[in-house]
Amino acid sequence: MSGLRALLGLGLLVSSGSRLAAAGGGRCPVQRVSPAGAWGAGRGRSGSAMQNPGRSGVTHLSQEEAQAIDQELFTEYKFSVDQLMELAGLSCATAIAKAYPPSSFTKSPPTVLIVCGPGNNGGDGLVCARHLKMFGYEPSVHYPKRPGKALFEGLTTQCQKMDIPFLSEFPSEAVLIDELYGLVVDAIFGFSFKGAVREPFGSILRTLEQVTVPIASIDIPSGWDVEKGSPDGLQPDMLISLTAPKKAAQHFAGRYHFLGGRFVPMALQQKYSLNLPPYPETDCVLQLP
Amino acid sequence: MFLGGSRVEAEAIEKELLEDYKFGRQQLIEIWGHASAMAVTKVFPLPSLPRKQPTVLVVCGPDQNGAIGLVCARHLRVFEYEPTIFYPKRSLNSLYRDFTTQCEKMDIPFLSYLPTEVQLINDAYNVVIDAILGADAEPGEVKEPYTSILATLKQIRIPIVSLDVPSGWDVETGNSEGISPDVLVSLAAPKQCATRFLGRHHILAGRFLPYDVQKKFELNLPEYPGTECVVSL
Repeated sequence: MSGLRALLGLGLLVSSGSRLAAAGGGRCPVQRVSPAGAWGAGRGRSGSAMQNPGRSGVTHLSQEEAQAIDQELFTEYKFSVDQLMELAGLSCATAIAKAYPPSSFTKSPPTVLIVCGPGNNGGDGLVCARHLKMFGYEPSVHYPKRPGKALFEGLTTQCQKMDIPFLSEFPSEAVLIDELYGLVVDAIFGFSFKGAVREPFGSILRTLEQVTVPIASIDIPSGWDVEKGSPDGLQPDMLISLTAPKKAAQHFAGRYHFLGGRFVPMALQQKYSLNLPPYPETDCVLQLP
Repeated sequence: MFLGGSRVEAEAIEKELLEDYKFGRQQLIEIWGHASAMAVTKVFPLPSLPRKQPTVLVVCGPDQNGAIGLVCARHLRVFEYEPTIFYPKRSLNSLYRDFTTQCEKMDIPFLSYLPTEVQLINDAYNVVIDAILGADAEPGEVKEPYTSILATLKQIRIPIVSLDVPSGWDVETGNSEGISPDVLVSLAAPKQCATRFLGRHHILAGRFLPYDVQKKFELNLPEYPGTECVVSL
């Protein structure tokens, strides 16, 4: 019975049933059969237990959960960092383009400063910068601490070869940033951040706190505790939560909260009761209330 | 009409992307696979599919084109289509192996054989994605099982979407005896054989080619609208 159901689930049988004999006389052509539940469960995304639902009912993850999901994507699902970083960075650029289209900039061309930190959040920023360039923005990157890994070296080269300038020094004053750029992308620290902020990022964040142009933070406003937030820290105008919002997002007070990183398999969403709302059509970003 | 590139040019562009621009191969395949899926949804949006279930058959070859097909299938699954993959000869390349695992872990079924009765395919699926052979293949080299698969695909009545090059076509001169896809998704830039394409939709997918590369190879690509990664040619 389950074999028949599996074949039907695959669409290999027409419901009239007359094709059954023609489908190989009972020999199931499928090598790997998905549990009927995976499709039978339907398209709805109702999570079972909701942990800490935020304003919208979406689950907000603890740091531990965020790390566990990340690990599972790499070890169980065999995604590579390259792949997911590319999709994450594309989401960030797309969200930015939705909230701050080039036409909305008072400056022409629409200049954007992307500040990249020493880890994966910085890598997301590099990918974001490249896509922003393809979307018609004029990004500049400040990347003071670069990990010596091929992935990040590659992403840096991709940007540099596309004539995206890398600032050797961070603008010393907030007013300079306000003058030169219409938007700042904070790609300094992500969900793995813990403890004290090391230089040069302490000074950078202090300057960014004085900036008046909008700041878009990737995944976590940098410097914030990943769960508790930070009332005295950076107050970005936009937050792009990747995969699912972290608990810190509950303290986000800016205008735009987007969800990005549309690659979490349904089974993983269900396992962690993410309760993600459906993305519109083929968009890679979703605006959260 | 865009003058498509030769195999030599396609290889040169890829070489430049990998060696000068330091794109990673997995990264490129992810970009192309995602853009291919976007192209499929553009031509065949979910509500437009004739069958009750949004089934799509993705036929993957042994090399890069097949890997792109796997990524395409995965994104189609995310977009709530129901892809099924036929991947008779799996690449031994460890880079591509992970793409297979990702699909399996997302409960995308893999057929163990392709029915030769064409009506079964016509009835079960809305669309077939041809991800068998790409710009690096030589038509004279098409071996089994792909010769039989292509013979089957020649007879089906549901639309075929070919990724980059209709499989079995010479990348420059095409193939009047080969399959006639309904949709051609040119990856990054059209290949020369695209001039022989007679189907309904020619879509350019993969919005990442640096401007300098476009200029160097005189690609004359159209502008992509907004933040889209696909554009109709």
